[in-house]
Amino acid sequence: MTDKNRILLAKMGLDCHDTGVITVAQQLREGGFEVIYLGLHNSADQVAKAALEEDVDLIGVSFLSGQHITQVRKLFDSLLAWKLEIPVVCGGVIPDDDAGELLRMGVREVIRPGTLTEDLLVRVRRALG
Amino acid sequence: MERAEQIKESVRDSEEQVFETASGIPIEELYGPAHNDEEQWGEAVGEPGDYPFTRGPYRNMYRGRIWTRRFQVGFGSPQESNERIKFLHKHGANGFVITIDLPTSYGFDSDDPIAEGEVGVTGLALSTLEDMRTLYDGFGPDSVSYALSIRPPVSSVSLAMLACVAEEKGIPLSSVIGTQQNDPFYQMSGGPLQTTARFFPIQGTLRLCIDNIEFMTNNMPRLNWMVTNGYNLRETGVNAIEDGAFTLGHAFDIFRMAKARGLDINRFPKRASFFLSCSIDFFEEIAKFRAMRRLYARTMKEDFGATDPACQRMRFSVQSAGNTLTTQQPEVNIARAGIEAMAAVFGGAQSIHLCSYDEGHGLPTEESSRIALRTQQVIAYESGVTKTVDPLGGSWYVERLTDKIESEINNKLLEIEDHGGMARAVQDGWLEEQINAARYRNQRDLDSGRKPLVGVNRYTIPEEEERQIKVHKIRADEWGEKRSQYLSAFRKNRDNQKWSDAMAHIENAWQAGENMVPVIMNALKNNATMGEIHEAMRNAQNWSFK
Repeated sequence: MTDKNRILLAKMGLDCHDTGVITVAQQLREGGFEVIYLGLHNSADQVAKAALEEDVDLIGVSFLSGQHITQVRKLFDSLLAWKLEIPVVCGGVIPDDDAGELLRMGVREVIRPGTLTEDLLVRVRRALG
Repeated sequence: MERAEQIKESVRDSEEQVFETASGIPIEELYGPAHNDEEQWGEAVGEPGDYPFTRGPYRNMYRGRIWTRRFQVGFGSPQESNERIKFLHKHGANGFVITIDLPTSYGFDSDDPIAEGEVGVTGLALSTLEDMRTLYDGFGPDSVSYALSIRPPVSSVSLAMLACVAEEKGIPLSSVIGTQQNDPFYQMSGGPLQTTARFFPIQGTLRLCIDNIEFMTNNMPRLNWMVTNGYNLRETGVNAIEDGAFTLGHAFDIFRMAKARGLDINRFPKRASFFLSCSIDFFEEIAKFRAMRRLYARTMKEDFGATDPACQRMRFSVQSAGNTLTTQQPEVNIARAGIEAMAAVFGGAQSIHLCSYDEGHGLPTEESSRIALRTQQVIAYESGVTKTVDPLGGSWYVERLTDKIESEINNKLLEIEDHGGMARAVQDGWLEEQINAARYRNQRDLDSGRKPLVGVNRYTIPEEEERQIKVHKIRADEWGEKRSQYLSAFRKNRDNQKWSDAMAHIENAWQAGENMVPVIMNALKNNATMGEIHEAMRNAQNWSFK
């Protein structure tokens, strides 16, 4: 084991736009994090289970097809059920109004397209607290 | 801005310019004539409408008919979408791209637990023959053209639905028009391996793809079918050369499979078409379209032995590149889409759809879709670029770039061939590696500023100055609830004996190697649903994703 922060990245539901999340995985690795990418089509429980098993410090989920509110709500329910207190960061194409709602739900950062690596790393470190 | 700053900025710009195309082809300061232009270009460039179709698939191009401006429709239920189509039809539209929701894209019914939160979001839900009947309410499939954004295995079911609707309306299958999208690998956005193999076995998907081609060739000769969704492939981040090679390599693979099924190379490709992306590098994209047409013609003639010109002529629809749009200063995207549309026109596209400026924020609104359509209309009716055929033909730069891109695509095609073809490249992860390398490269170029992106790595404004964007509101929970009620009533009202006979027939016919389209038609007539038909086909292959 290293002392690097561990980050779990995943796509949830049926959305399969993965360019963003795969690029972010690489940016974070190069930025000094250990990244576990779960791939497409995960349920909230699968994400929570992996977060527990991999003992991660942060969860990042990415959306492009409009399911972010539904899926993030489910994710928080699962984390609660598994008694996990892990910060969640959300990325992708997210409308302005919904970004506000996600933050109110407890998401630490909403990171949208056009975020350069330097800014991404600052915001992920901030989310880690 | 102060004058001194302006000067400083322009100096910096010239220092940072990179004189190469987006895919890395070096660009000279000036292009001029060479002594062998005539002999080089005579045959290779040719005439529009003639082999090798470099200058366009048709002789008179847009003088004969302006490209099709299709309307994208599809949200919520088939009823809501049909009402929207009726409204647009009354205002003059007769071609529609119908988008479907993600559960349907993967062959799941709206009431499947996996569909929760996704019903009706990215498009309409289509689970029963009745749904397709509703979508065609008020129209015949011989008069209005739908292009369903769908892939095998699901497109075998939607094709069967379309054939059933035509039968019910007393329309001969031979009169049915529209476009059947039929790309087994690249229809879903994202890396193709996971999206393709997750819910249905790849070999089964390929078999249904060929079943569809066989059924259409023999029964529905007016129906266009899309071979490669090069658009979604390009959207993963690959460059113009990779785009051309992967798109064509995949098509040639499918054609080889269709030939192996015993289909006639002078018949089945007649209605084959492509869906391509037009990105922001203006001349490179124009050259790409011209080079792809020429390579397609040469390969069809020389390698496949097609003699009918209709089987050598590549036709394609274009969508402007969503991945060139920015979330920041979104109105600037209107200019980007305009440039891309112009490139598609100079490239000789048959149909164009422009992305809306707000796509970096969410689903487009009426307003943003209208601006995208108006942009096309300005190009079509005001700019005058349509008034002569292939106006850039013979440009020293464009012809040289076309030659160069053709040879680069050809080299990449040879690499794919060495690797055992595109189907293999998808399955063993080679393609995924190429795609990911392109994604990392793009991000590095954005971070370093090597690839300028206005509003992102230069000419940015503070976040608080960005305008708030309103997007189309989704009602996933409401749509899901309504569809669940509908499907549960639908299942209660059917004849169970007939239904279970039809379901058993699917499994038997699959194992006997029959063409599945008529078999699925039978199942639909006996009220089997999209999800049930897929489950029966999975069972027939002893395969489960659970």
